Amino acid sequence: MNENPFPSIIPEKDWKKIQRMLSKRSLWMIHFCTGCGAMEMPPTMTSRYDMERFGIIPMATPRQADLLLVTGYVAVKTLKRIVRVYEQMQDPKYVISFGSCPINGGLYWDSYNTIKRLDKYIPVDIYIAGCMPRPEAIMDGFLKLMKDIDEGRADGWLRYRKYYDKYRANQMRVFRRWDE
Amino acid sequence: MKAEELFKELNVEYEMMKVKGNEDPRYRVKVNADKLEDIIVKFKENGFRHFVALSCVDWIKDGKFELIYHLFSYETLEDVFLSIYIPRDEPKYRSLRHLFPQIETYEREIHEMFGVDFEGNDRLIPLILEDWNDMPPMRKDFDTEKYAKEKYGSIPPVEGGDEE
Repeated sequence: MNENPFPSIIPEKDWKKIQRMLSKRSLWMIHFCTGCGAMEMPPTMTSRYDMERFGIIPMATPRQADLLLVTGYVAVKTLKRIVRVYEQMQDPKYVISFGSCPINGGLYWDSYNTIKRLDKYIPVDIYIAGCMPRPEAIMDGFLKLMKDIDEGRADGWLRYRKYYDKYRANQMRVFRRWDE
Repeated sequence: MKAEELFKELNVEYEMMKVKGNEDPRYRVKVNADKLEDIIVKFKENGFRHFVALSCVDWIKDGKFELIYHLFSYETLEDVFLSIYIPRDEPKYRSLRHLFPQIETYEREIHEMFGVDFEGNDRLIPLILEDWNDMPPMRKDFDTEKYAKEKYGSIPPVEGGDEE
């Protein structure tokens, strides 16, 4: 978050509140699709449900994005890319886990190559259950995330900093090497 | 040239296969592993210019892998499945990528998923799996549920929470 430009005029607590209030209204979503859930994003983005009315737009690069949607099952190969993308995003950043697969494995509960719980590897702010969640559910999830941001409860990026060693240890238990 | 004429010319036994909803003729042929290359060349010269797929079946009770070379002819609209058997404990066959270049990728996949070694193919590097360190996962004796529970179930949650 940015520093307070007028510490003598605006109290630090209010400054954070103002920032949260403003940042919840301009969430830029990284355009990163995994699994089948990305299929529900076009109707959510386009005229029928139109998520842009909440200030959420898709963005092509991780450095300009605040929001990462993991839209479906996560293979080990994909997880490596997800972690890369997540670490490139700038603070504050939020993760939405979308569909039943990143929650407990879903259909792929006994698969040898998909991770079962995403929150063991990166922190997750909101879960949207369902296989697949309809655009209404996605919009509801976005609104809940905005409320959480406003109240300061969406603190996944802070938890990632705090428990970085644990998250990295879990990641390295499924990756054999990091540099490929 | 029709597939049946080719079979008679090559003097191999074939069986006709029937599939619900698809009237196109399709034939299954079990061939000798040494003669497979000549037979594929013969088919390729006579209209079967489309190599559709190479697949593998694990016959664990017989101790064999079945490799199925799937050819198609646009002239006669016929499918031909040429299958060979190789021993399961020493799965080896020679690469046929000089006949159809796309065979290279199929061989790579089968090498990764079944552990079949194709001599002469120098690109048998990992294709889909990443950081894999167990036996090839599509073999019948690979217990995917046990593997998933051991590998992913043993990872602890970061901030408390319930175990799986």
